[in-house]
Amino acid sequence: MQKQAGKKIPSDFSTDEEIRRLVIARLKTTSPDTIKCIGNEGSFTRDQLIEHVQAGDEIGETIERVEMEWLRALKSGIVSEILTA
Amino acid sequence: MVSLLVTRPEHDPLTRHLSHWNKKVIEIAESKGHEVVDLNKEKANKKEFEGRVNKIDPSLVLLNGHGDNRSVCGHNNEVLVSVGVNSHLLENRITYAVACSSARVLGVEVCAKNNTTFIGYDEYFILNLDRNFLANPLQDRRAERFLESSNHVAISLLKGHTCRGASNNSKRISRRHIASLLTSATDPEAIEDAKDLFWNMSHQVCLGDAESKI
Repeated sequence: MQKQAGKKIPSDFSTDEEIRRLVIARLKTTSPDTIKCIGNEGSFTRDQLIEHVQAGDEIGETIERVEMEWLRALKSGIVSEILTA
Repeated sequence: MVSLLVTRPEHDPLTRHLSHWNKKVIEIAESKGHEVVDLNKEKANKKEFEGRVNKIDPSLVLLNGHGDNRSVCGHNNEVLVSVGVNSHLLENRITYAVACSSARVLGVEVCAKNNTTFIGYDEYFILNLDRNFLANPLQDRRAERFLESSNHVAISLLKGHTCRGASNNSKRISRRHIASLLTSATDPEAIEDAKDLFWNMSHQVCLGDAESKI
């Protein structure tokens, strides 16, 4: 299940915990010099992002939503279309 | 010649980067002989914004800053324009708002009026930076991926494209960057940035009169 626009919707990818582990693993591979600005929520270092995802708070859920949208795009072939365009 | 109004608050990393990268848009506008009113830093406040919109009646409004479903902010997050207060100021013009989620309610409301276009985002706008370039945003090649595609909305409008065309051109630049990142064997940030570029691209919307031009 995944939270989007304030409500839980079914996901055919994985469980919440598996998604969280995937997101954290991805974040750990990024440079410590990374600063991610998430609109009006603020600017976060890599380690702060990992803490938010581990805490499962609003910022963490936003990061997970971005990840899920990307995974859906990969699954639907949109990214392949981009590469072959 | 047309008139443009640009807001460029600079009070945190996101607004500072947006502001510096928007100077490129201003340079292009001025090189084409357009009148540009630039509300930078403290000038990006509600009083200045309302006064200048009423005075110069801009064809194009470029809003850079934080926002939410119902509003867009200026320097130190002072609300510049919001639903039910002064959103009518954006009617009969083209607006491009790099401000989170403002297309959801504010954009929809102003586009209920004919001859109005609102290009913006219906979700968070994400920008990945390199902390080594916080003081020199224009040298941040990582941020360039995000801000070049964002800037292309305004640049395309200045080149005479329709709003739909400008948004499509911006997305084309995003796709080009994503393709480049996905085929990079050396960039450790490639997947992270491709993912976030895809997010921004997917949530950029063009509301209202999509065929209008400045």
